[in-house]
Amino acid sequence: MGNKSSLMLQEQDIRDIQAETGFLPSQIERLYSRFTSLDKGDSGTLSREDFLRIPELAINPLGDRIVHAFFKESEDDHVNFRQFVRVLAHFRPIKKAQDNKLNAREEKLRFAFKMYDLDDDERISREELLAVLHMMVGENISDDQLNSIAERTILEADRDGDQMISFEEFCSALERTDVEQKMSIKFLK
Amino acid sequence: MAWGIGILRSSYESLLLSYGVWEALLPYIIWGQRVVFVCLLLVATVGGRLRLRRKYVQVLDSVFTFAAAKLGDETPLEEEGEARRDSDEVHEAKDSDRVVIDPESPKAEPGSPDGSFKFQDPLPYLAAGMRAVVSDCVTKSFTSAELRTWNMLSRTKHKRYLRLSRSLTVFWVVGVVIRYLFLFPMRLLVTVISLANLVVCCIAVGLLPESEFKRRLNAKVVTWCFDFVAGSISVVARFHNPENRPTHGIAVANHTSPIDCMVLATDQCYDMVGQKSGGILGVFMSALSKSSTHIWFERTEANQRAEAAKRLREHSQNTRLPPILIFPEGCCVNNTAVMQFKKGSFEMDCTIYPIAIRFDPRYGDAFWYQDTFVQYLFSMMTSWAIVVDVWYLPPMQRRQNESGVAFAQRVKALIAHRGGFVQLAWDGLIKLHTTKQDVWRLKQSQWRQKQQKEFARHFEEREEEEEEEKEEDEVNRDVNVKENGQMESEESAKQETKVEKRRKYSEKEEIKESDADENEKRDVKREEETGKGNTNTREKKAQ
Repeated sequence: MGNKSSLMLQEQDIRDIQAETGFLPSQIERLYSRFTSLDKGDSGTLSREDFLRIPELAINPLGDRIVHAFFKESEDDHVNFRQFVRVLAHFRPIKKAQDNKLNAREEKLRFAFKMYDLDDDERISREELLAVLHMMVGENISDDQLNSIAERTILEADRDGDQMISFEEFCSALERTDVEQKMSIKFLK
Repeated sequence: MAWGIGILRSSYESLLLSYGVWEALLPYIIWGQRVVFVCLLLVATVGGRLRLRRKYVQVLDSVFTFAAAKLGDETPLEEEGEARRDSDEVHEAKDSDRVVIDPESPKAEPGSPDGSFKFQDPLPYLAAGMRAVVSDCVTKSFTSAELRTWNMLSRTKHKRYLRLSRSLTVFWVVGVVIRYLFLFPMRLLVTVISLANLVVCCIAVGLLPESEFKRRLNAKVVTWCFDFVAGSISVVARFHNPENRPTHGIAVANHTSPIDCMVLATDQCYDMVGQKSGGILGVFMSALSKSSTHIWFERTEANQRAEAAKRLREHSQNTRLPPILIFPEGCCVNNTAVMQFKKGSFEMDCTIYPIAIRFDPRYGDAFWYQDTFVQYLFSMMTSWAIVVDVWYLPPMQRRQNESGVAFAQRVKALIAHRGGFVQLAWDGLIKLHTTKQDVWRLKQSQWRQKQQKEFARHFEEREEEEEEEKEEDEVNRDVNVKENGQMESEESAKQETKVEKRRKYSEKEEIKESDADENEKRDVKREEETGKGNTNTREKKAQ
């Protein structure tokens, strides 16, 4: 199973990816093995269906947004391995000794910000916040209550009074949050 | 007759020659094969009693320890069991402040004190989603388990950079020669002999009139025949707690491979339930049916299904008939996890005997992950051995006011604890997701609603939240004091009562409806038919 896939990944590719993301070669091989197992059509790329075939992701309330995060970089609705790894690199734990490019605290925060900011205008509007809230609670909270919750959240974080949250306001709202711990996952070697 | 054998021998020899084997080696190979054949025959027929199979496994053990030492791996092989129990996934799931995406009992982080939404609240779900992308428990359970040290089979060599020293390579080459040239052909031969023997014996016993004597004879004969078959593919089984061996009623076990039935049948005679089929399998089924009361039925026929359910009930009440073997998971899992048990057989009022089966993956993997059955058989016959541990657990009864689902959970928790498995709330329905999209989507949205509901609790009255947090703290404290298995069953029971408090009545109805079908569905030996069977049950529901 693993043998076949590791042959198709070249040494040079592994080195490039290591330089770009900071993953170890063994971790990259494991991710490649996972990539090929998700790629049911053997096309070398992943589609949205390939992601949503993962049961745990399919029932995650934020499932669609997570999948969307992978496709933000690609133009043609397919994710290749480089893009796959680059997105996952944001969730590498921060190690003081290693050089952190994609998984530095600011990069993690930017990733989280992009999850809210669908239209990419560098601002989280009330509608965008409501959209995320709605995904998280489904039908269990009334629209009125959701509205007031969203208003309150924006009010608390809004500094310049434009009713929208910029990236700086977002970062200061999350100042005391342990972003490193909340947005890191373990990658097996 | 003599020239027939002569022709066979010459064609066999030429076959060997066509392998590219040198002429000079041929007589040694043939001689070696004869030795192996005799050994195998001996081991298969009486080896179980004489503990010959155990000795073989011990020899293998020492070879593997040597190999591990050469590879520079310090961990002794005995730790394999513990390693499985303390696997990373289990620890992560038990982390009390982490979000758990689980179909039946999801867990959300406690919300902020004033019941407001903060930007960091969805982050754990984001991380959980990414974790699922990298590795999800369901896919892991359906692929063959990873080994910690190498066992000389090239199929488990997953690390590209596994450096082989010279002596190790020699060992590996010798291993390949032994397995492919000696073990495989002889195993094939002995298996054929043993299967023929099974059919003949069953038919012979079937000729006797119905009586107590016939039942006892059947038990002894069939057990010995299955032992013969098991020995021919080098199944080495160890049975623990034989005082709990099932004598009647229903025996339930976790399902890993098509040979589960056979392994269990070497120690106790069971009656099987399954799909009628033609061909070679049909021959075995009819032979077995002659000597004992198995329940074979045609899944696609609704009335046959209902009748089979009725017969099952009657059979389980009759204490003089052998116990029925059922696999409530409904699908083969890779022996590291136990999936959701279907409640059908747990709703009958009879004694349930739980059995935990654990395969030792170091010697050979019995899990069917290959593409075809023939490849699977080939892979099994060229492994070193199939080593199994079977634990008989004390019989259980459904308590008063306990639902079938809760009882099934209780049994599942015990089996998981005994075998050292992770408990998963996913059910084998997942394998349907390629064939029955609409059913899968419905189930998915139901599960997603559960996660959403769990998160929405953030915004409810603070007093209620405090109450729940106190409860959760209690659960966690109890959890830390008690043992693993009990912990899991208690926690899942508590979680279930908590979730049930909040469950809408309509949701419950929906789930009950879809489960009602499974009442009529029975598990079979062959995994391939499970898919077909599920499809047909769903079609009936659609009607």
